Amino acid sequence: MESTFSVIRDNDLAKIELRGRLDANNAPALQDELKKLVGQPIKRLVFFAKDLEYISSAGLRTIIFAKQKIGAETRVFLIGAQEAILSVVKMSGLDTFMSIQDSFQE
Amino acid sequence: MPELVLPAILKNLDPLMAFITDAAGKMGFDDKKIFHIKLASEEILVNIINYAYPGGQGDIEIIVNSRGAEALVVAIADRGIAFDPLSLPEPDISAPLEKRTIGGLGVFLARKLMDEVTYRREEGRNILTFVKRKSSDQA
Repeated sequence: MESTFSVIRDNDLAKIELRGRLDANNAPALQDELKKLVGQPIKRLVFFAKDLEYISSAGLRTIIFAKQKIGAETRVFLIGAQEAILSVVKMSGLDTFMSIQDSFQE
Repeated sequence: MPELVLPAILKNLDPLMAFITDAAGKMGFDDKKIFHIKLASEEILVNIINYAYPGGQGDIEIIVNSRGAEALVVAIADRGIAFDPLSLPEPDISAPLEKRTIGGLGVFLARKLMDEVTYRREEGRNILTFVKRKSSDQA
């Protein structure tokens, strides 16, 4: 699968769709996109991860960065992630600030 | 004793990782363990690519071995500045988010996911070796 991501902003909701891999190759590009949301009134930051096959610490750091920089009031969601991805997310303690759900209800 | 030597640049990350995961696949590791092997490999390789040769260039050498049919043994070496990644303090993954530090997470994950991780400095080389067993109960 090709590794791509898209960031779509809809008022105070930001949707990030992750496909393929999020690793040292492409995490910097995602971080650049997420930087554009810093200072914006984003209430919910939603990572759609159904088609995410692989994440490394570079990818995990990008999610931590997003939560830290976009705002303490921003809620972060991880939607539809596969079990192998979830095991790493939990091992890194990202589940302490992200809501992990099978599907997203707007 | 398959071996691969490539310049330590980000462009080579994929072939370096594939060399390791292909070996794991041939040994019959399941997908989740291959995911974890790939992740541990990436963390170690990226550290070398980013930090081993400041202002210069050098190689990464990978030697893949098996311990019987049960364990994959991967040694990753460079000739860069002496650095023991295992000396890094573990990140506090339960710290409040705003106090989370960004560094150290990769090595932390590699140690959690592999059954053994060891470092030695030998004849001007950093050699990091990890072992993953098929029967591993790590994660």
